[in-house]
Amino acid sequence: LNQQVAEPEVAIKLNEDYCSRCSICRSLCPFEAITKDAESGKIVLEIEKCQVCGICYSACPAKAIDTIYYDCGSLAKYLERVKPQYKSDSLVIMCKGSAPDFAVVERLFGVSKFIPLSVPCVGRISEELLLRALAMGIKKIYLLACDEDYCRFDRGSPLAGRRVLALNHLLEQLGYGREVITLKQNSLKVKVDRDLCISCGNCAFYCPYGAASLDSPGGAKFDLDACRGCGLCVAVCPAVALDLDNWERERISTLISQLLAEMKPPKILVFRCQWAVFSPLDGESNPHIRTIELPCSARVDAFHILEAFQRGADGVLIVACPEEDCRQEGASAKAQHWMEALQKRLNQIGFQDRLRFCFVARRYPEQFDKELQQFRQGIEAVVSKRRRK
Amino acid sequence: MIVTVQKPLDEILDSISPHSKILIAGCDGCTQPPRGLREAKVLSQLLELAGKLSNKEFQFKVTTLVKQCDSFLTASALKPQMDGMEAVLSLACGAGVQTVAELFPDIPVLPAQNSHFIGAEDREGGIMEDRCAACGDCLLALTGGICPVTRCSKGLLNGACGGANNGKCEMDPERDCAWELIFKRLERQGKLDRIKELRPPRNYQAKAWRLTP
Repeated sequence: LNQQVAEPEVAIKLNEDYCSRCSICRSLCPFEAITKDAESGKIVLEIEKCQVCGICYSACPAKAIDTIYYDCGSLAKYLERVKPQYKSDSLVIMCKGSAPDFAVVERLFGVSKFIPLSVPCVGRISEELLLRALAMGIKKIYLLACDEDYCRFDRGSPLAGRRVLALNHLLEQLGYGREVITLKQNSLKVKVDRDLCISCGNCAFYCPYGAASLDSPGGAKFDLDACRGCGLCVAVCPAVALDLDNWERERISTLISQLLAEMKPPKILVFRCQWAVFSPLDGESNPHIRTIELPCSARVDAFHILEAFQRGADGVLIVACPEEDCRQEGASAKAQHWMEALQKRLNQIGFQDRLRFCFVARRYPEQFDKELQQFRQGIEAVVSKRRRK
Repeated sequence: MIVTVQKPLDEILDSISPHSKILIAGCDGCTQPPRGLREAKVLSQLLELAGKLSNKEFQFKVTTLVKQCDSFLTASALKPQMDGMEAVLSLACGAGVQTVAELFPDIPVLPAQNSHFIGAEDREGGIMEDRCAACGDCLLALTGGICPVTRCSKGLLNGACGGANNGKCEMDPERDCAWELIFKRLERQGKLDRIKELRPPRNYQAKAWRLTP
């Protein structure tokens, strides 16, 4: 009878004691996760509907909303710590959803040296953080948001635009000069090499957005305005004719070698949808675990998983958003299906229990930790069994 | 398209185990699911891993061909790549495997696939079904575009047999009765009189083994 059901830890919370019931958060939430209780007038955050974009957090004038991911205080601390390393007074804040290669950032903003900071949605970056950055001695801030119709959280990118406009106006009045903060937009799209296309139609069938079609003759054709850069087509192209901006196959391969070389056995490589869990600001310290973030779990490629095993990974964990959270129209469920097929083939060669696929929701940060821990225990058992042989 | 299923990896491993330098050849032709460069490379990675587990070092070279069953194209694409190769593991259908085997009679050419049928794919359902027996005597004009040779369990040319139950075949309740489908299709097109036409026994001589167009 004394059993208590522990409330799961949540990624975002509303503290009623501080809430002034102004409803700003409610009007900004893209997912209708914040409502006003008709009787009591209280503001209520429904965590099940919340996508943890952090827009409400960044806009709350009463600081009644807390988030465990990328809150203003930790971001400011992080900036203070890393600023000396970069020897630059320019800060580039990018949304993970469209953050390109640093060379492209240089070209886009015309800066050669900068402090990079990638965050899940620039819409969660409050005025406070931008002002604190300026107070730290940063002279110029560049914000790279997703194209507005590409924004994962719908309202994050437009909100960042409005904030920058208002803040620049204010900063100019304060004598900081014009355009202290520059905002640009970007999005990452598929790249097709039609010379390699074998006209199988996989991309046209699997694309969740109808961005791919097949010409006869001519092969695959993409409507880049419709492409949302999930990379699902890249993972299913049998001719290896497709690739994805900033998530190029080669780049991921290089990363796999680098990470596995710096790890200690047993080595667990995690391929994770960058939206399933927001990666810690400070990177990873556990020498047994490294993570490669992907734009969607459906970008995970059999090539890369097998490459990881070839290079000495003891286990590979694939982390996806649950189907209801997946913004790519059920792509994570497809990824699950393909991973099961690969697991079967790995079993056939005696590589049991080395590959695991799991769904985790970022609103419950403990879910990922639990999955990882469980997987790690399994891998440790497999490895010690192998050693005994 | 030719529908193939990959052989179990232990069977493939068994067949390649006497060799170490092996060319894995995909086929971009009509196999479904496509067995191009991706499948060839994934297979090489899997076999390499399997080799490591049993202390066997394979050296794979991975390539893909436009159509393995075309001896001219295959010869010109493969010949420059065959230096030092001890065996070829082919991802093509049986026709492709045999073409490569004939081009290189001195080395073993091994199949990685089991070829099942000439079929059609229902992508939504993820189902592939036998649709054409390549019988050489096409009846589809008379049967509303539904082939009784492949789709009727008994291959009847003059159905239905009478054994169907709720539109399903008496031999396999999962399977639609092809003749019931044909009846409905002809009825829909107002051509039911065709069903009364007696179709003579098939001309088995039409199933050619060689053609010289």
